[in-house]
Amino acid sequence: MESFRFCFLMLTIAILASPALSDLVLSKVDRRIYLTSHIVRISSTMKVENAGSEKESKVLLAFPEQQAKNMAYLIATPHEGKGKGKNPVVALPVEAANPKDMPAALTLYSVSLPKGLAEGDSFTFDVLAVFTHALRPIPEQITQADIQLVLYQDSAHYLSPYAVKVQSLSVKLPDSRIESYTKLENTKIHGSEIKYGPYENIPSFSYSPIAVHFESNLPFAVAHELVREIEISHWGNVQVTEHYKLIHGGAQSKGEFSRLDFQARPNVRGASAFRYLVANLPPRAHSVYYRDEIGNISTSHLRGDSKKTELLIEPRYPMFGGWRTAFTIGYGLPLQDFLFESDGKRFLNITFSSPMVELVIDALIVKVVLPEGSSDISVAAPFPVEQWQETKISHLDIDGRPVVVLKKTNVVPEHNQFFQVYYHFSQLSMLREPLMLISGFFFFFVACIVYMHADISISKSSASYLAKQQWEEVQAVIQQVQNIISRCLTTHDNLEASLRDLSRTGNIQACKAARKAADGLLKELSKELKPLLTFLQSSPSAAQVEELVAKERELQEKVMVKHSTVVDGYEKKLGARDIENRVALQQQKLTALRQEVDDLLEFIDEI
Amino acid sequence: MVCSWGGYTFIINLIPMHVLLCIVTGRFSSRLYIAYAPLVVLGTLLAALVPVVGFNAVMTSEHFASFLVFIIIHVVAFVYYIKGILSPKMFKVAVTLVVSVGLAVCCAVIAVLIALVASSPTKGWSGRSLSLLDPTYASKYIPIIASVSEHQPPTWPSYFMDINVLAFLVPAGIIACFLPLSDASSFVVLYIATSVYFSGVMVRLMLVLAPAACITSGIALSQAFDVFTGSIKFQLTGASSNTEVDAAETSSSTAESQTDAVKTEKPEETAKNRPSRKSKKKEREHGEKPSTEAKAEKKRLLALPLESSVISLLLLVLLGAFYVVHCVWAAAEAYSAPSIVLTSRSHDGLHVFDDFREAYAWLRHNTDVDDKVASWWDYGYQTTAMANRTVIVDNNTWNNTHIATVGTAMSSPERAAWEIFHSLDVKYVLVVFGGLVGYPSDDINKFLWMVRIGGGVFPHIKEPDYLRDGQYRIDSQATPTMLNCLMYKLSYYRFVETDGKGFDRVRQTEIGKKYFKLTHFEEAFTTHHWMVRIYKLKPPKNRIRGKTKKSKSKTSSTTSSPKRSGTKKKNPWQ
Repeated sequence: MESFRFCFLMLTIAILASPALSDLVLSKVDRRIYLTSHIVRISSTMKVENAGSEKESKVLLAFPEQQAKNMAYLIATPHEGKGKGKNPVVALPVEAANPKDMPAALTLYSVSLPKGLAEGDSFTFDVLAVFTHALRPIPEQITQADIQLVLYQDSAHYLSPYAVKVQSLSVKLPDSRIESYTKLENTKIHGSEIKYGPYENIPSFSYSPIAVHFESNLPFAVAHELVREIEISHWGNVQVTEHYKLIHGGAQSKGEFSRLDFQARPNVRGASAFRYLVANLPPRAHSVYYRDEIGNISTSHLRGDSKKTELLIEPRYPMFGGWRTAFTIGYGLPLQDFLFESDGKRFLNITFSSPMVELVIDALIVKVVLPEGSSDISVAAPFPVEQWQETKISHLDIDGRPVVVLKKTNVVPEHNQFFQVYYHFSQLSMLREPLMLISGFFFFFVACIVYMHADISISKSSASYLAKQQWEEVQAVIQQVQNIISRCLTTHDNLEASLRDLSRTGNIQACKAARKAADGLLKELSKELKPLLTFLQSSPSAAQVEELVAKERELQEKVMVKHSTVVDGYEKKLGARDIENRVALQQQKLTALRQEVDDLLEFIDEI
Repeated sequence: MVCSWGGYTFIINLIPMHVLLCIVTGRFSSRLYIAYAPLVVLGTLLAALVPVVGFNAVMTSEHFASFLVFIIIHVVAFVYYIKGILSPKMFKVAVTLVVSVGLAVCCAVIAVLIALVASSPTKGWSGRSLSLLDPTYASKYIPIIASVSEHQPPTWPSYFMDINVLAFLVPAGIIACFLPLSDASSFVVLYIATSVYFSGVMVRLMLVLAPAACITSGIALSQAFDVFTGSIKFQLTGASSNTEVDAAETSSSTAESQTDAVKTEKPEETAKNRPSRKSKKKEREHGEKPSTEAKAEKKRLLALPLESSVISLLLLVLLGAFYVVHCVWAAAEAYSAPSIVLTSRSHDGLHVFDDFREAYAWLRHNTDVDDKVASWWDYGYQTTAMANRTVIVDNNTWNNTHIATVGTAMSSPERAAWEIFHSLDVKYVLVVFGGLVGYPSDDINKFLWMVRIGGGVFPHIKEPDYLRDGQYRIDSQATPTMLNCLMYKLSYYRFVETDGKGFDRVRQTEIGKKYFKLTHFEEAFTTHHWMVRIYKLKPPKNRIRGKTKKSKSKTSSTTSSPKRSGTKKKNPWQ
């Protein structure tokens, strides 16, 4: 490492020989390096002055290759005094620049100034650069009891293609425990802050390496891969599912892990481990879940108010250096908070990155699943992303839902900005799936009804089919026979009733009339019965039916006899007791017969 | 069913038993033949397709009954067929002929079979089946079967816990099955009788009892409902038809009261009742028809009073409702509560012990994909599924020797255990330890089984070495073998530092050996409540030239190390 730095130094010295690019001069540079997290943020305030005669509209920012590789985010904003507002609307456009006569070891970005700088004009702006993986744990492997030390390297002088008149640098550390740091002239240390400078009149491309080796027990949470799936349902929900593959990116742990030590003195034994992560979900997030491939993880807390929802999740085990875990969190969001309409197009406006606090994501894949039938899809992202389209087949889909996939590497919380997905979607398409279900069930029932009513036997002449059909006919006929018999029986009952009336009122005429009507009816019925009986001749149940009919005949006769006897008795004005005696025997037979007929009827009923 | 569970042997023995019963009681019919013969043929073929069963489907004694009955049913079918085509006289001749020849052949075949079966040590039965027939068998000969808690006989409370009110309804159901004993109901009776016996032998066969108990108590309930609703219906319709009856009676101007009418008709009605009793259903339908008053009268005799039947109905419904409540409770508390996530209720709410999944998730994410994990076989499937790592032994307990190897390693001193594990290419050893939170089914409580199973194959492990005066203990009275075995060390490593005494909450005692170090293992992970502890095997030591003699007998695969140690002056491990 040392030798490398030395080489680098030699290189920069070589660069010094090359001529300055333009006549711009940085009159004042204030750099603040925040090492209070594992994401390194360098915030610089620069005052640029045009010393030449030509009008300049671009300022170049230089980063050594080593840093540029780790750079995740770069933004330049005009300086607004004390009230520093990072408003992306007024951000100055920054683009990668590649001037010819620059050394290959430098990566350059050019900042376009809002208006060109005339001679002698000056302009002040802020630059925020965010780096990931810039802190190197040294030693690389530690035991549970060791504290985690990390090394940060940079230059005390601002590396710039321009000469710098006055500059200063302050390095903010998480706490005051510093293993070592490079001491240069004008180096001061205030608690957890190291100050370099001010240095004056430093020529361009000046590089003076510094290294800070300090203790950092902050959570080095790095997501190797994060797949965010945002699924829009126009029924009122935006479902976000995030699959994390997490690793502790700090010093690798080696040797034993002792739970005892960890539980007894968690701040000493296991200081470098982190136990939980905090996610700031949007307000009104609901149905939050936290699980992994083997089920729900029960260690999480959810607090919510009207401004935000805070989810605190604990991985299944404390994360030591180099330990990995994987989990999924998911939540639903109300549609109206994120989906808007403009010029007949709908657009989703949602944050790009993970809601986790201070999480570095090596590879972030955002999938926006639009409802089936969306068209004219376009994406507006605040920074360059790789994008392509897929389709996802979900429930009740026919041709799949269009999925916009955005991929970005090296993502830091600063990337958590809103992006927009525009698309066309007709409200009617929403009804597609319910209609599909309804029609599906409808046709299913229709098919059932058709099946129940249609005769779908293949061979109309097969023996079993014919037999079945014949059997059905026989049953129908038997049903008819039964009906007739029961009508006979009711006629008998009527006769009996007329007898009762007779005994009450003594109206013989009425009784006779009833008898006549019954006779006629019974005759008719027996006529009806005849063809049915001949039809039944050949069927297996013919015997029973015939028996039934015979019994019924007998019963009929007996009833007639009884009726005539009673009527006779009344006509002859016999005493009630007398008639009773005469009829008694017949009555007994009648009940017996009636009983038999009933039994037979029931038996036939069961066939 | 063959695919899912070895319990299929119950079915393939139950069905032949039923068929045999039908044949013996003279209920043989072509339907029975059609149902049974294809079942045996197809069932055996399909069962043989299942890799686990394979040729066992025709070779073990468990399947013998079905084949025997298969032969018998063919003989019977043949006899019936012959009977049909021959005249009675000829038939008699044929019977004497066949019987004399057949007996001789049968004797010969049976003799051969007995000889074959007797020649095998377990008489062709698998250990589990034998322990069913002789409940003491497993504990005597096969510790691995006896070691499973599911294989223990159940306690009485567990019956009431599992089948609850069904326990009382089952006898009623059996009686109901006997009322008209048909082919189907005889099967149910046979089913419930055998399953009650088997569930009495092994807890897990409660699973076999459950459907049988449900069926019989369902029959009982249905019969009861039938009787009660029938009588209610009768009483209600009877009220309307009574007026007609009364009218008929007044016509003859005999002012007989309703009850009198019943009394007079009673003798003849009951006489008629008897023959037609066969099918109760008939009568019930009768009662519904207002036109048949006489029948209704008859029905009235079988009917219970309206009030009592309504009350009994309500009570039955209530009983059913309580049973549903109990079932929901049991399903939620006893059956659904996963044994992998434990909960305890304390004054400050529910406390979740998710240690198993914590450990499995750790293994899944923080070990190499090829690493092998050794643990007692109880955790084999869990480790495979949840941790996605290869295990040495798992819950399929066919390979007794393998399990015995792990058992031996666990009961050996550290060095011997390390050698065994190293020869198995094990990287991690997982033990379950409940001493800190009082989780009773941990490895220390299962340890005697490891000793027994291990000792069954490797005789140098002797159970008495681990027992002090026949008692299993881990306190200061424990034997040195016990205190030096791997399981003890892995469970209690640094345990004493938690409270200074090393008080084991499961055994309710202080541990015997408190301060010790591990030389061949290192703690890799311990879960939050110490329920799962994972140890890593230390890599083999480098050999030093002068010391190679000592470790010559080692099986460890340190073939390349002598060369390396030659160049190195100092062994970093010593």
